[in-house]
Amino acid sequence: MEKSKDALVFSIKRFALHDGNGLRTTIFLKGCNLSCVWCHNPEGIELERKIQLSKKKCINCNRCVEIDTDNVIVQKEKYKEIINKIDVDYKKYIDVCPSGAIDYDSKYYTSEELLEIVLKDKVFFKHGGGVTLSGGEALLQLDFVIDFLKKCNENNINTALETALNISTDKLKKVLPYVNTLYCDLKEIDLDKHYRFTGVKNKLILKNIEYLLTSKFAENIIIRTPLIPNHTATKENISKISRYISDIYPQVKYELLNYNPLGISKYIDLGKKYPLKDNIPMFSKIEMEEFKDIARLNGITNLI
Amino acid sequence: MNTLILSERIENLKEKAIHADRYASIEQARIITNTYKKFPNEPRIIQRGLSLKAALEQLSISVDKDELIVGNRTVGIRDGVVFPESGSNWVNNEFETLPTRPQDKFKVKKEDIKEFRNDIYSFWNEKSMEDIINKRYGKRINEISKVVKINQKDHAQGHICPNTEMWLQKGPKKIKEEAIIKLKEASDETKDFYKAVIDVMDGTITFMNRYHDYIMNLIEEENISKDNDLYQVALNCKNISERAPETFHEAVQSVWFLFTILHMESNASSFSPGRMDKYLYPFYKKDIDNGILNNQKALEIIESFWIKCNEIVYLRNKHSAKFFAGFPIGFNVAIGGVDENGDAYENELSYLMLIAQEHLGLPQPNLSVRLHKNTSDKLPKKAIQVVSKGSGMPQFFNDEAIINPLINNLEIDEKDARDYAIVGCVELTTQGNNLGWSDAAMFNLNKALELTLNNGKCLLTGEKIGLDLGNLTTYDSFEDLEEAYKKQVSYFIDEMIKACEVVEQAHQECLPTPFLSTVIDNCIEKGIDVTAGGAKYNLSGIQMIQVANLADSFAVIKQLIYDEKKISKEEMLNALIDNYEGHDITKVMVENLVPKYGNDVKWVDELGAKWAEYFNDKLKSFTNYRGGKYHTGMYTVSAHVPMGENVGATPDGRLAKTPLADGGMSPVYGRDMEGPTAVLNSVSRLKCELTTNGGLLNMKFLPEFFSDEGIDKFSIMMRAFVDLEIPHIQFNVVRKSDLTEAQKYPEKYKGLTIRVAGYTAYFTELATELQNEIIARTSYGEI
Repeated sequence: MEKSKDALVFSIKRFALHDGNGLRTTIFLKGCNLSCVWCHNPEGIELERKIQLSKKKCINCNRCVEIDTDNVIVQKEKYKEIINKIDVDYKKYIDVCPSGAIDYDSKYYTSEELLEIVLKDKVFFKHGGGVTLSGGEALLQLDFVIDFLKKCNENNINTALETALNISTDKLKKVLPYVNTLYCDLKEIDLDKHYRFTGVKNKLILKNIEYLLTSKFAENIIIRTPLIPNHTATKENISKISRYISDIYPQVKYELLNYNPLGISKYIDLGKKYPLKDNIPMFSKIEMEEFKDIARLNGITNLI
Repeated sequence: MNTLILSERIENLKEKAIHADRYASIEQARIITNTYKKFPNEPRIIQRGLSLKAALEQLSISVDKDELIVGNRTVGIRDGVVFPESGSNWVNNEFETLPTRPQDKFKVKKEDIKEFRNDIYSFWNEKSMEDIINKRYGKRINEISKVVKINQKDHAQGHICPNTEMWLQKGPKKIKEEAIIKLKEASDETKDFYKAVIDVMDGTITFMNRYHDYIMNLIEEENISKDNDLYQVALNCKNISERAPETFHEAVQSVWFLFTILHMESNASSFSPGRMDKYLYPFYKKDIDNGILNNQKALEIIESFWIKCNEIVYLRNKHSAKFFAGFPIGFNVAIGGVDENGDAYENELSYLMLIAQEHLGLPQPNLSVRLHKNTSDKLPKKAIQVVSKGSGMPQFFNDEAIINPLINNLEIDEKDARDYAIVGCVELTTQGNNLGWSDAAMFNLNKALELTLNNGKCLLTGEKIGLDLGNLTTYDSFEDLEEAYKKQVSYFIDEMIKACEVVEQAHQECLPTPFLSTVIDNCIEKGIDVTAGGAKYNLSGIQMIQVANLADSFAVIKQLIYDEKKISKEEMLNALIDNYEGHDITKVMVENLVPKYGNDVKWVDELGAKWAEYFNDKLKSFTNYRGGKYHTGMYTVSAHVPMGENVGATPDGRLAKTPLADGGMSPVYGRDMEGPTAVLNSVSRLKCELTTNGGLLNMKFLPEFFSDEGIDKFSIMMRAFVDLEIPHIQFNVVRKSDLTEAQKYPEKYKGLTIRVAGYTAYFTELATELQNEIIARTSYGEI
């Protein structure tokens, strides 16, 4: 078994441009306690590591079939699948695959290992940027997160963390001293809609926002709303969120994230159905400006 | 500076330059041949001086009424010049195919072919430099050519940055007067040199005056009013024939004449204007202070000069055109950098030159920005903004990676090293005192590996061309293989040096360059031609091709064959012999299971760096024919395509005959999966001393990247680039779809320029293989 302070990571992206100031290395931690219908990282929702067989990489050489004593390889008409079983050691399947098609969807890292990866780009961060923890919900792996962020602080690496805030306030408090910028999603202000869209109610999230925006860390907080067509991207939602957060803290930083349809291909890879209409375009510059105006009209002075 | 516009005059000139037909011109060949016939017994340097003088006196000239800067070596705007002294045999063989060959097409006139064969080729056959080299060493050069491509076999070397600052201080008249004084005290050995200098300066003065007279005639004939700019242009030509230039406009005209005449004398690739923002600044400042110049006018003059730089193209043979595709004529202008004290340098002209590039987006001049730790934030940001417009320029050079190695490894004076400029594509040079011979040869490290893995035999033909040291199955350990590879490389280095010496000797005998020698320090003082070693610095540059593929191949061999033993030696060798046909599993293994160069994986990157270091070190034991040092560069021009055609399948999974990695330090396209920061970290593992002759790193970004925020983020990357001590980087900013459209509808994309390798060319003028390779390069910045 892996040590308790290991983190399960499903992706590491260097030269990330949209997850904080400057150039970032964004680390995506696996597992989420929301299930947004539009989720961009559906591969990061489940908390467990899974074995997978990439159809794109597989060349049908049958090497895995030849050693399949566990009955985990399934030959479909045109492609193969691999079955996740708890008691199977998949190492031999990974080793035998010549194309790297069989592999885990995520990997365990110690905080030292992750730090080493982050430090590779320190020469860039010196001029602007740092590390961003994202997910899934990064705070579900709280012990690791704190340990890792401390190490980043010691190495003068700027830190950012993205969270949906569906976590107890006490836990949230623990991480605050180590984060330079905390990106907090407030996707939907209406309780019922929030439940419909994400599978959870937003009571705890709102409580956390109130706490954060009245705390000494308020300046480090950026509230974000992803603009999902026919869901969160309504005048009502944006105006209410804006009013709500600016009433708590007039200087609150607020960011509206344009819809990004790139998530579709991930659903295809996972063999899942994309839950939104798949031909909705991003919002245009003009439409984005309209949303921003709504935010400004409702008390937002610090629009990112 | 934000209000400066692209004037209608400049737009007109640009349109004409883009749409001009290219012809092969024999006019100068005729003049040269007649001169040699008239003076058969004169020493070669006198013959060369007289030939240039005659050309300056006789070549047809023309002026466009929109031009602010005048002068060309042919009447046609983009004609290629047949130059029989250096090579006429290849012209004889290829004349008819010039209009239809795949790369660098030229139209030809039937009567020219006839005259060439009857009057010119008949005289030069077996006398041209090409013939002499062929006779002396052609067979051997050919035998080693798949590993070592020896350059400058049929043309002058070029790739030199004259002392333009001195030229502007003196002008042709003063230089002539100085040569007359020198001649009086000259020894017998140096007399002819000074005589030739006097001849070419006489020709230069005449040439300048001919433009004055031509324009005055034009003014008269067409009743052009006296306040038209043409009148000033005519006066400029006359003034600078008599004295040193005094105004900015005169100075720029004087610079253009210098470069036109350098091309007339040598017909070579690349004479570099160098640090134009620095040496033109006193003229600019004086005129601005005196109120006779404003920035709009200065910009128009610069843009006129920029367009002129696109009007001289270089006619190469078919083979050479593949290696140097799309006319990389190499008017390399370097801006920014540091001054003589090592402090960051920039001025208004630096920005005007960037704006000129932004306005025109033409392939020439090859605009380079020198960056330094203390360079302002403003300069790189403006430069990045220009890059985002898509012409692939400016390219960036890093003072932190360049100046110290020039001092420490090549024993160049600190003052000269700080004043470095660029010639050709990315080749480094000091200004005005160096015959760098930067393209002496290209060494195909991957072919050498192929021969080491296969008993010295070429995988493509079975022919034995290298040392038989065994094959992959006979090397017991990875170290044994490395030992054998060392021997193979070393053998071809020895062979290369011998060939380089033959070539240089022939240049000294056949192609002395008295005009060029006047603008290279120490030549006039010593009375020694630059080809004979008259310059202060005498270097020879060898390119190592390509470390990226080599690192990837060695990584595969080390990991899969020797360490993990996942592939047997026999299987790997057979896969290479069979070009991976029937070896699908082996192919996906080498592609997927081993990390590749460019992903910030230290052990892989170091496998490549190690061999570059070995090569560089080995060269140190040789001295070139002029008594100077050999050193190394890592850039390909476009040679990664034809050199790839010579290489069989490689252990990194590359198929036979396909291109090698582009650039010189770039990863193999499509194999860098970790993004730009990882690429830069990988590249930084190549020590700067490996690229004193120039290094090249290509990156491709999508236009969407360059929002205001994008430019800020890009600047961060460029600052880190400086810190990482990487010598060079350049960017293509283009969408793949635009390039594929341009392949389909070339006529619609005539003006589309693209960075090939250290130079920009019109995309539609490149051969299809090269176009495909550019399209295949990895793009960053997808949103």
